[in-house]
Amino acid sequence: MKIITNVLRAVALFATILFFNQGFAQTAEEGAQLFNANCTSCHAINEKVVGPALKDVHKRREEKWLLSWIKNSQKMVKAGDPLAVQIYKENNEALMTAFENLSDNQIKSIVAYIKAESEKPAATATAAAPGSSVSAESATNTEVSSTMRGKINWLLIIIAVLLFMVIALVLDILGLVGQIQGKPVINWNNINSKLALLFLIAGMGAVIWEFAAHTKLTVNSYDGASAHSNEYDSMFNITFYLTLVVFIITQILLFWYLFKYKHNKNRKALYYPDNHKLELIWTVIPAIVLTVLVIRGLKTWNDIMYHKDEKAQLIEVFGYQFGWNARYAGNDNILGKHDFREIGKVNALGVDPKDPKSLDDVVTNELHLKVDQPVMLKFRAKDVIHSAYLPHFRVQMNVVPGLPTQFAFTPTITTADMRTKLNDPSFDYILLCNKICGGAHYRMKMKVIVHTASDYDKWMSSQPKFVQNAAPAADSASTNTQVNVSVKNDKTLASK
Amino acid sequence: MGNTHSHHDDHSHDAHHGHHQESFISKYVFSMDHKMIAKQFLITGIIMGTLGMAMSLIFRLQLAYPDMKFPFLESIIGHWGKDGKLDPNFYLALITIHGTIMVFYVLTAGLSGTFSNLLIPLQVGARDMASPFMNMLSYWFFFLSSCVLTYSLFVENGPASAGWTVYPPLSALPKAVPGSGDGMTLWLVAMILFIASALLGGINYITTVLNMRTKGMKMTRLPLTIWAFLITAVLGLLSFPVLLGGSLLLLMDRSFGTSFYLADIPADLAGGIERTGGSPILFQHLFWFLGHPEVYIILLPALGITSEVIATNSRKPIFGYRAMIGSILAIGFLSFIVWGHHMFLTGMNPFLGSVFMLGTLIIAVPSAVKTFNYLATLWKGNLQLTPAMLFAIGLVSFFISGGLTGIYLGNAALDINLHDTYFVVAHFHLVMGSAAIFGMMSGIYHWYSKLFGKMMNESLGYIHFWLTFISAYCVFFPMHFMGLAGVPRRYYANTAYDQFNVFVDMNQFITIAALLGGFAQLIFLFNFFYSIFKGKRASQNPWKSNTLEWTAPVEHFHGNWPGEIPHVYRWAYDYSKPGASDDFIPQNVPDPGQVDEMQEPDPAKFEPSRTSAPAATQEVVLFSALKRLFGFARS
Repeated sequence: MKIITNVLRAVALFATILFFNQGFAQTAEEGAQLFNANCTSCHAINEKVVGPALKDVHKRREEKWLLSWIKNSQKMVKAGDPLAVQIYKENNEALMTAFENLSDNQIKSIVAYIKAESEKPAATATAAAPGSSVSAESATNTEVSSTMRGKINWLLIIIAVLLFMVIALVLDILGLVGQIQGKPVINWNNINSKLALLFLIAGMGAVIWEFAAHTKLTVNSYDGASAHSNEYDSMFNITFYLTLVVFIITQILLFWYLFKYKHNKNRKALYYPDNHKLELIWTVIPAIVLTVLVIRGLKTWNDIMYHKDEKAQLIEVFGYQFGWNARYAGNDNILGKHDFREIGKVNALGVDPKDPKSLDDVVTNELHLKVDQPVMLKFRAKDVIHSAYLPHFRVQMNVVPGLPTQFAFTPTITTADMRTKLNDPSFDYILLCNKICGGAHYRMKMKVIVHTASDYDKWMSSQPKFVQNAAPAADSASTNTQVNVSVKNDKTLASK
Repeated sequence: MGNTHSHHDDHSHDAHHGHHQESFISKYVFSMDHKMIAKQFLITGIIMGTLGMAMSLIFRLQLAYPDMKFPFLESIIGHWGKDGKLDPNFYLALITIHGTIMVFYVLTAGLSGTFSNLLIPLQVGARDMASPFMNMLSYWFFFLSSCVLTYSLFVENGPASAGWTVYPPLSALPKAVPGSGDGMTLWLVAMILFIASALLGGINYITTVLNMRTKGMKMTRLPLTIWAFLITAVLGLLSFPVLLGGSLLLLMDRSFGTSFYLADIPADLAGGIERTGGSPILFQHLFWFLGHPEVYIILLPALGITSEVIATNSRKPIFGYRAMIGSILAIGFLSFIVWGHHMFLTGMNPFLGSVFMLGTLIIAVPSAVKTFNYLATLWKGNLQLTPAMLFAIGLVSFFISGGLTGIYLGNAALDINLHDTYFVVAHFHLVMGSAAIFGMMSGIYHWYSKLFGKMMNESLGYIHFWLTFISAYCVFFPMHFMGLAGVPRRYYANTAYDQFNVFVDMNQFITIAALLGGFAQLIFLFNFFYSIFKGKRASQNPWKSNTLEWTAPVEHFHGNWPGEIPHVYRWAYDYSKPGASDDFIPQNVPDPGQVDEMQEPDPAKFEPSRTSAPAATQEVVLFSALKRLFGFARS
């Protein structure tokens, strides 16, 4: 019976959404966008992630079953659908997010995309994994080379083991020889002190190489994309140079002493238990240096955290297992009320559709920002603690259920400008989850796009307002209204 | 040896009778001898450490080769490694249990439990702990706790997988992650047992140090090891109960429908009961109130061991003995007021962030003093580079490298972009993980002869050191750069991010280095267990050290010294003293012509140190320990 009601409801929703969102084509292309936006945090085509691999799912399951499963799998499990229960058990009873906001047509286009992907050869489909712009060919190459490298690595390990056995044997023999001769053949004290010197030189060399090779990969190596980045980066640089000096001096002394003062029978160590003046020096100097760092750090911290701007645009960032939504406050710059009890019931975010302030809100699953426009991100979590981390903007704040948190900043470089700066046409800002939150934690991310003012306005005006979706459903039995979180990803704007 | 010159406590002659009748059970299993308990702690710790290390190698393989399949995984971990592919949920379980094992079972119980037990009675000159019975209980609670944690690996939904910090709601809601089912309940039970063990041990260590020192062993003559163990025990005693409370509340949230830590969780996520009104941040406060002192509970004993080993092998007194004690005290005190630096970005009031930042950066001052004092100790020394000495030097090197990055992370502003990235992983694995492990290794090589009466093979020790040292730097140093690029920790793979995927080569390098490090530990394990049976017999004082444990015979028996407990006439660091014939003067050797103030009988003051059946006089000992605690400056 439940399934029939579900289907009825689905049909009703289908009708509603058809009415408001005409022009949705059931294409694999649209499905690809939806798939990347909604599914990739837990699924891939060819491999098991948190959920099972989806290859050929259109052959395994009936479409009707798929529709109701995707919309609310828990309902089916509770209703005792044998297949649903089996899948739930097979996947360690991990909950699949309910996608009641997706229309039947949208789900069908996702299935169409999966079908298209399933028919491609395996390596190609891997390349279509989220966010990767690697072409099919190069993906195959890396796969082959990584297995090759794997084999070489194992070989190296075996060689290392054999080498060790030979060394152990030689040491044993030398030890016996030493016993016969009455004096040890190997002077370990000498060897170790020389190894210490070698380690110092080679180690410092490796550190320099490391800085040369990998500094360019760090986010500090290019301009930060927010107004406070400069202050952050200069704080970082001061700390870096100070600690670098201490690091070099102390490590050199440590290993140099090992070499210089190695044991010698004819020498006696210096009896030198105390020197108050020296100790005073190396208490006071670090204290002064740290005072400078503390004062500087407090200023930076306060500048960033107490940054208030009346004109700041309000955007709510909503985190759930395993994805993000952004809700823009609309023209009134006030977010509509929400209630955690209504999450997934009234709509995916639990926003009160009767609150007039919510009517002009816009919900997306990408974060769109206007350049040089201060924003205030308000964070809300559905289930467990997440952390919204935007490394390019030097922004991070935990997203805690039941505890509203926020972070205000001003983006200063558009996505397009950053792509030119980095000479990387596929570059995108990201917001990613940085607090352990469950199996697909490592895929929980949201694309961030910084527009120029005019592009932003153009994009915003193309977004369906909450009010458009809050119209009463045709099916009077269902009180569900839909927030359209499945936004057309306007590629033309993003790539400008 | 100095025994001929030394004076003994001739009132104490009833201590060591009766040990001949010990049965196998009472000698090797339910032993109340602190030396046997130390061995039990050490070997349990080594077994747990091997487990924790093996786990880290499994998840390192996943991080380096996210596309490859390792069929052997399926035979080890069953359906979690189906088709040779590690399950993402089990990856989280592995990092959680790896962290728990390493932090609590190896570096708290394995390090502090072993060496506090072995060295406190021997170095202060006592026949055993204040309460040998409590000491035995302490081990068996720890053993039980290890069993519960190991058992949790085998429950249906897998062991706890919310990270070793087990933040609710992830750890409180079984539906949030499979590991938050029975595995998490067992984790909490294991933790509660562990805390009981830590408290029973800690109160014993404090009592023994304050109350059972031999004649002449003033607080200012204690070796730095004992000072470190004492402060460690105080930290544990003050902070572990807070975690106990925190764990109990979490257990109630999980099993009895309360919501101490849960806010705005709808009924369908939380077992049918809507949870409102609690605070997830409360748990973080309670956890880190232990969690931060815990860092020093791990590190201080390692630093204490290092001080002793460096002084002995440099043939020089430790530089700035009083400054070293002062910095231990300062670090111990400060460690209680900085826990919030783990929580800068939890939504805590930014003003609190400022306060915690101030306290955190101040810790760098006593840490710097310690480092410079170590360097000054090495300066113009006569360095014997034994394996123990090399590991101690390794600790100092890690302490510098990892400590300096603490200045970044303690800065609330810089933490915004570094929080929970690989930069943090690099930082604490160097300053807390590697440094403390090296302290533990240094201790094992140095006191192996005290534990087992045998010597370990030195050549294997050197190979073990250099391989471990190089591999530890190769594993953790590159991680700083991943952190600076924004790569978050606890990610099963970086494949979903083009910007992070460029580190795949670095990840492979790290994994190979980790495998090398793991291999080096096999050398150690071989050396350790082989030497117990086949090692060279140890002499009484192989390192020519000054402290009292080397005046005790190589053979173990309950009571430590066959005759009277030696008296103490000097501090522990008279190495290469001008005018002396040897380059060391043990603590029990009086200066020629020194008036022996200890010969005056003062039964009231020294009564407890002659206690022969400590269990019977436990109350007396504990009570007088409290008296001493508030007035020990006089002694």
